[in-house]
Amino acid sequence: MRTRLLVLIAVLAGAAGGALYGGVFRDSTSPASAALAGAQASEDFKAGFSLSRSTASLVADLQSRLRANPKDEHSYTLLGLAYQQRARETGDPSWYSRSEGMLRRALALDAKDYLAVSGLGSLALSRHRFRDALVLGRQARALNPYSARPYGVVGDALVELGRYGEAFRAFDTMNRLRPSLSSYARVSYGRELIGRTAAAIRAMKLAVDAASGAAEPTAWTHVQLGKLYFNHGRIAAAEREYRFALRIFPGYPYGLDALASALAARGAYRQAIAAERSAVDAIPLPQYVAALGDLYRVTGRPALARRQYALIGAIERLLRANGVRTDLEIALFQVDHGIALRHALARARLARSERPSIDGDDVLAWALARNGHCAEALPYSRRALRLGTQDALKFFHRGYIERCLAHERAAATWLRRALSLNPHFSLLWAPAARRWVG
Amino acid sequence: MRSRWAFILLAVVGAALAALFVARLAPSSSNASSHREAPLISEDPTADNTDLYAFRSPDKPNTLTIVSNWIPGEDPAAGPNYYAFSQSARYNIFVDRNGDGRPDVTYTFRFKTPTGPFFLGNTQQTWQMWRNNRGFANGKTPIDNVGPRFNGFVGVKDYEAAAEKEIVTKRGIRIFAGQRDDPFYADVGAIFDLVAIRKAGTTGNMGGGKDFLSGYNVHTIALQIPISQLDTPSHTIGIWANTERQNVTVNGKVRPGWTQVSRLGNPLINEVVIPTGLKDLWNRTTPAQDEQFAKYYKTPILAAVLNKLYKLGVPETDRDDLVAVLGTGIPKVTFTGSHFADELRINLAVPVTPPGKVSRMGVLGGDNAGFPNGRRLGDDIVDIEEQAVAGFLKGKKVPLGDGVNANDVPNLGHFPYVAAPHSGYENAKATR
Repeated sequence: MRTRLLVLIAVLAGAAGGALYGGVFRDSTSPASAALAGAQASEDFKAGFSLSRSTASLVADLQSRLRANPKDEHSYTLLGLAYQQRARETGDPSWYSRSEGMLRRALALDAKDYLAVSGLGSLALSRHRFRDALVLGRQARALNPYSARPYGVVGDALVELGRYGEAFRAFDTMNRLRPSLSSYARVSYGRELIGRTAAAIRAMKLAVDAASGAAEPTAWTHVQLGKLYFNHGRIAAAEREYRFALRIFPGYPYGLDALASALAARGAYRQAIAAERSAVDAIPLPQYVAALGDLYRVTGRPALARRQYALIGAIERLLRANGVRTDLEIALFQVDHGIALRHALARARLARSERPSIDGDDVLAWALARNGHCAEALPYSRRALRLGTQDALKFFHRGYIERCLAHERAAATWLRRALSLNPHFSLLWAPAARRWVG
Repeated sequence: MRSRWAFILLAVVGAALAALFVARLAPSSSNASSHREAPLISEDPTADNTDLYAFRSPDKPNTLTIVSNWIPGEDPAAGPNYYAFSQSARYNIFVDRNGDGRPDVTYTFRFKTPTGPFFLGNTQQTWQMWRNNRGFANGKTPIDNVGPRFNGFVGVKDYEAAAEKEIVTKRGIRIFAGQRDDPFYADVGAIFDLVAIRKAGTTGNMGGGKDFLSGYNVHTIALQIPISQLDTPSHTIGIWANTERQNVTVNGKVRPGWTQVSRLGNPLINEVVIPTGLKDLWNRTTPAQDEQFAKYYKTPILAAVLNKLYKLGVPETDRDDLVAVLGTGIPKVTFTGSHFADELRINLAVPVTPPGKVSRMGVLGGDNAGFPNGRRLGDDIVDIEEQAVAGFLKGKKVPLGDGVNANDVPNLGHFPYVAAPHSGYENAKATR
């Protein structure tokens, strides 16, 4: 036993073993990690779940290894990825900057480490720097054309850059190389974008099936599946999935936020507020904070709502300081809430130039319309709907623009489409749509 | 495709956490208004081949038993997320009878989970089996071994009796699918706490290790096949198992197929032999195309590691001994011709070793009915592989080992041979 211990420790110590260990770990399908993840997930379940504790100890472990061996290239990569995970767990974007530092050190030691390059790619995605992400994803793909993972980075970036044909081909290839939670979820998203809802649900169910074993990925896919149902007005089915997710993974903020929307949709505002507040307490993401504010607003507590809205500016500054671009999200928030509309329009224009996707088109159309430039808005709204995406919010924006242009019939058509697709598409705007269609 | 090496290596590096972290990378809690962060890494335990065994049945020597396991590290107490075979994957066991690396007999399984009253807890799945793509048999798995109260509640008083009742016999073949004990054993227990490098005082094969895998379950498919159905003039066949998942495309215009996501013939190969960048490729490849990997068997990374550490003088290159044993068979015992293919080969004419004479070291221990002539549940893969890489077959006999020489629970003397799964209620790990 000693000897193997030593072999293994040597592996730890890097040297030739680095490759060995790396080989295990970098394998995107590393089975052993699944084993342990499964075991660990159940520990978490019993312990009432503590997400950050575990990643925090991984971080500590990697840091101590790097103190022992500052040339341990692979540990820098892993630490870089662990820091990205910390960002997700805590909502603290300063982890992104630290992640970048680690990944760059890894690449200084081994410029051909596709995992590190791919890590920089996912970091760029997280920071909404999609052009950078595309370059990095392609670089990682060139370094390892056999791995499915870089195709995910490439495809995600292409989606946000509005290059859908190429993006979908990347997703298809990714799935052909490795049918998995990741690739099924992406194909599902692609199908959702082109309006193939039933097919999107089928692909997401495959993702659910392929995720079984580790708690959080399973929970994540259940939430995604629930959102597909929700976006098509199937509130009860959505709520069932969200509750599944929260049962598998108690306290999951992403699930709580989703559950809040389902609860609000069926009028259970008190519970919705409790759920959204738990999500915000765990991770103060701008969209959770805005949703909580909206819940306060529609339940007649404007002062509490304003307090939430005011937080968003501060969160955004923090994000920006750590390299995260949120122009599109903030523009949407401002336009939705009638805050600094002219400024919001400028932001929306900037955001769309960075992110010429259907979402960029839609937010710009919405910002133009709310600033009274409805004729200019119309072509952007058309572009936003060009894939055939079944998205009630985009339908509503189109209806709003048509109404503003006094195209009464078209307006009524689009508003009705929005409401019939999902009568609960927006806490703030669905009631307006209902009023306008009479 | 796994093998516990991955497990072990990960354990060393604080793997419980590392693994957790990888899994947790998957979901992103941030879902900014439009940009969806899909999972970075996805674990897929239900499509993960853990181990493959093939041996002449000790109590029915005219039959061959094949045991193929999936889903590593099932914690018996992991409720409410019980383990089950995937409903959308295809599980295959292949037999190559002429050494060309292509399947001559294929046994395919698919599973369905009925909806039931228990949250994710209805683990009695139905299965369908095909032989060479023709419907062959169907049956049910036993429930997962949750605990005596739950089992009793759903009408299972004696777990093992109920489990063995699900064995189906069709045209001479006995078939079982369901949760069992993980028969693999290896020591990784002490490693978690280890901080400094210890100097080797002993070489490790003298006991004193702890079975890190004790108390864990897996999902098993076991077949007991009359040798007459598989025998060949050379009496040697090659076996491997895989898991496939369906392809999907965004626009749905392409006719979807299946991609192999995991495979396993000989233990350890993907982890120890195949280089990092090629692991995905290896997992997609069939044994017929294995020639491209032969060079990595010839210069195994592990040999270099052993030398770097202990200056054992392990031969690092020209390891034709490993190429032969793993790729074309043991000369004169399981040789299947010159075609290089990673398969678990077994000579069906080698008699079963009587119980008192069994060596856990298999062929290396002078017991020709064990690994790498097939693989019995009790064969000590870690020790055998370490010694083989160190050059045993080239006359360099270094008594390496992990100090764990047997499974934590006895394997059964009859089909399906793999011991009953640990129950969640008893949760052996907690008291270990």
